[in-house]
Amino acid sequence: MKALPPFWSLVEAHGDELLAHARRMAGPDHAEDVLQDAFLRALRAYPRLRHGDHLRAWLYRVTTTAAIDAHRSRPREQPFAEPPAVGVEDAYDAGAFEALISPLPEAAREPLRLRFVEDLDYDGIAGRLGVSPAAARQRVSTAVRTLRERHAA
Amino acid sequence: MTLPASLLEAVASAAVREGLADAVFTRLPTPIGKLLVVTGSRGIVRVGFEEEPEDRVLAEIAGALGPRVVASDRELADVRDALSAYLEGDSTSLSLPVDLELVRAPFRRQVLETLHDTVRRGEVVTYGALAGRSGRPKAFRAAATACARNPVPIVVPCHRVLPGSGGIGNYGGGPARKRALLTLEGAL
Repeated sequence: MKALPPFWSLVEAHGDELLAHARRMAGPDHAEDVLQDAFLRALRAYPRLRHGDHLRAWLYRVTTTAAIDAHRSRPREQPFAEPPAVGVEDAYDAGAFEALISPLPEAAREPLRLRFVEDLDYDGIAGRLGVSPAAARQRVSTAVRTLRERHAA
Repeated sequence: MTLPASLLEAVASAAVREGLADAVFTRLPTPIGKLLVVTGSRGIVRVGFEEEPEDRVLAEIAGALGPRVVASDRELADVRDALSAYLEGDSTSLSLPVDLELVRAPFRRQVLETLHDTVRRGEVVTYGALAGRSGRPKAFRAAATACARNPVPIVVPCHRVLPGSGGIGNYGGGPARKRALLTLEGAL
């Protein structure tokens, strides 16, 4: 077991790749806010870590969680407030999102798209998937966990 | 690293504001080389010369004060300005809060406190005299050790302590820096 290194040495060693990860997760407009939030979350939790192993993977997980929470708390776009030429998916950088979830099987990708791209609630997701709302919630949460594990690996 | 400085400063400032930082450091170019300056909750805990490996200094800080060590030029702007002005000769006073947390031995801490409080710019003192002022006149070797291991050189002015036998003596940052500091202060 290693002692915890000075937090800033992690920031300086992994900051660039974490910013790239935040960009893939949240799009270029939100990446810096997401990473800033992720670093502060990490700093709050840091002294409670029991050892200094796997810190890079841990920071990836924290950044992933921050990106997902930022997406959830962001006010919904107003797709009808402007001409449809500017699609709502532009705000989320849909290509980046697809790239992010591409390692997952389609059974995991679809619930993630419905939740984070289409921004449906669990009733809406349940309707589209033809399952109960509880099962829809379960599928999204399993897919998010799988995604985190993929990106932490 | 190419992270935007604004992002890093925002993280560090929020950390300080929320009480999440165990220590804050800054890297400062000066006429006597790049300094690493680290502050704890009560003041400056460590000043490192550029020859000292930064990762080792910061690991020592993380071990002693806690691992939440962040960098911020903005949070330490006052410290940076004061040290720059002093070392560039624009100011003749250097009054910054010091925290001797890293000095565990009580007598060594006493010696450094005495040095900080009583030996002013332009003055010099011998190791023996400093030991005497600190309450143990015969402990000049312990006084020399205290100076040799001073974690906050320049601010706690161990460069103003000279051997009783004459000459410039040793200095953690090397004799050339000791001479440069004493020349700046008009003591040589």
